[in-house]
Amino acid sequence: MKNRILIGLLLGLVLGALDGSSAWFYPEARPVLASIMVGSTIKGMLVGLFTGWFARKVQSTGWGIAVGSGIGLLFAFLVAATDTLNGRHPYLEIMFPGFLVGAIIGFLTQRTGTGPAKAEPS
Amino acid sequence: MDQDTAIGGQNRHFPSTQVSLLDAAASGLSSEARERVIALYWKPVYHFLRIKFRASNEDAKDLTQGFFASALERQFFERFDPAKASFRTYLRMAVEHFAANQHTAGNRQKRGGGAPLEPLGEHADTSPSPEALFEREWQRQLFSLAIEDLRGHCAESGKLAQFSIFEAYDLADTERASYADLAARFGLPETTVTNHLAWARRMLRGFVDERLRGTTASPKEMREEARRLWN
Amino acid sequence: MELSDSVLDHLRHVSELPDLTGTRYELESEIGRGGMGVVYAARDRQLNRLVALKVLDAALAGEPQLIARLEHPAVVPVYENGTLADGRAFYAMKLVKGVPLDGYFAAPRPLPERLRVVRRVGEALAFAHARGVIHRDLKPANVMVGEFGEVYVMDWGVEAVAGTPAFRAPDRELDARSDIYACGALLRFVLSTATPPALGAIAAKAMSADAAVRYHDVSALLADLDRFQAGMAVEAWAEPWWHRLRRFAERNIVLLVLLAAYAAAKFLLFFLRKL
Repeated sequence: MKNRILIGLLLGLVLGALDGSSAWFYPEARPVLASIMVGSTIKGMLVGLFTGWFARKVQSTGWGIAVGSGIGLLFAFLVAATDTLNGRHPYLEIMFPGFLVGAIIGFLTQRTGTGPAKAEPS
Repeated sequence: MDQDTAIGGQNRHFPSTQVSLLDAAASGLSSEARERVIALYWKPVYHFLRIKFRASNEDAKDLTQGFFASALERQFFERFDPAKASFRTYLRMAVEHFAANQHTAGNRQKRGGGAPLEPLGEHADTSPSPEALFEREWQRQLFSLAIEDLRGHCAESGKLAQFSIFEAYDLADTERASYADLAARFGLPETTVTNHLAWARRMLRGFVDERLRGTTASPKEMREEARRLWN
Repeated sequence: MELSDSVLDHLRHVSELPDLTGTRYELESEIGRGGMGVVYAARDRQLNRLVALKVLDAALAGEPQLIARLEHPAVVPVYENGTLADGRAFYAMKLVKGVPLDGYFAAPRPLPERLRVVRRVGEALAFAHARGVIHRDLKPANVMVGEFGEVYVMDWGVEAVAGTPAFRAPDRELDARSDIYACGALLRFVLSTATPPALGAIAAKAMSADAAVRYHDVSALLADLDRFQAGMAVEAWAEPWWHRLRRFAERNIVLLVLLAAYAAAKFLLFFLRKL
């Protein structure tokens, strides 16, 4: 059985970096794109760490998504609180996607190692 | 009972192990094969002719006699192909062929103004159909012969009580008495009555099988006919 | 003597009844007629239970020995075999209370249930084949479903006499591949009109006229059924690309929804900024 924490870290790294890179579409954020990406990556890896650990304890896709989105939301909040964009904290811009990225990471950490989704067993 | 039609029903003692029909014909016992066939098929053919060709009693008897006198010879058995039909069906068709020939040849003696022979159409609305009647009469004669075999066997081996009980119960046309009544009537315990009946039925089944084996061409055909018989 | 119709019918009936004297069984009633004989319900006097008594109308002594070698939940256990007083062979087996397959599926049943029953039959076949036993006459009449859903496969090892031709393989010699054919026919029989093309393809592959094209063994057929139920591609069917895509989407629906939500969120935020 694969190490889910490791997988979580990896997923969080990749997805976090991708999420962070989407800041490129905000011209005002482009100058600090690198630091945004680093922050997103670390955020993603932390979410991956927690959900990976959680996936080892509890086998439930639903709970995986819930925990992932919850932790994703938390860290996104922390980042948004310490960040400013156009003179205000970008809560919506960061927390909304952050919530979803966390959900995705949570889902995927539950799925890996068990193979593709199965229909109702006969 | 009409003596003439009793020809096929007289008690005959056949050898206890009967070879199949084709074997008998092939090994030159064709007269024996003929005898067996006549014993079983005389009455069914007679009844069939009466219904199918609307023949009178006299005409039907004449025809039946004529058929068995002339149509059954060695080639008759050799031409029979078990893969195509049962022997019973084969013989019935031969009867139809024979009767139709008699009609067209016109060499039949009319007696008492009997009508010319014309077979009933394919879907004539007699019920049962002549073919079904033929099979029914064949079943009837088969069992009649087997019962006679059983009677003869019981007489020879002193099993008169068994046959009497069998006759009283299984051959009763009216409402059947109970086992208890039979036990009282014959002065035997009820279990004995049960056993006697079981024995007689077992023997009867054996005799029916023997008669059947003697008029079928192969074990397979015999099994098929037996299956039809016990429906 | 002239036998009346009623006497004749009576004689036909009673002389066919199995003579159970000397056995431990008491005749109760007739259950049904198969290709090789008649099945009766009988009471075992010693154990005081009802059994099914099959009386063979020909010497087919091979069958009970065959079945006795099989111990499987789907194979009806044989208790005893012997010869009746009238010379006929018989064997006593478990009396299965249930309905034959055609009756069971006359009522509407969901697809997973239909596949479950076919799977049980397949498992029994695989088990038997591994022990060298071929069924030879698999058809809906030979499969019973009990009151709790148990599946039984009956009448092993006898060549179909007056069998249903739809289930008999066109092979000259009946062997394991012919059983696979019959299993495919059973699958087709069990499926209702709205059959998923993948299942139709599985049945068709099992029922190929050329025995070499069919599944190599029953386990391969069951594996394809597994794949179907897991939403995976089936060996028997080359599916069109759009069907493969749809399958992929169905299997990964959660992920696709989350990704779509993420993309939608990003787009929404982006365009909200413009306002």
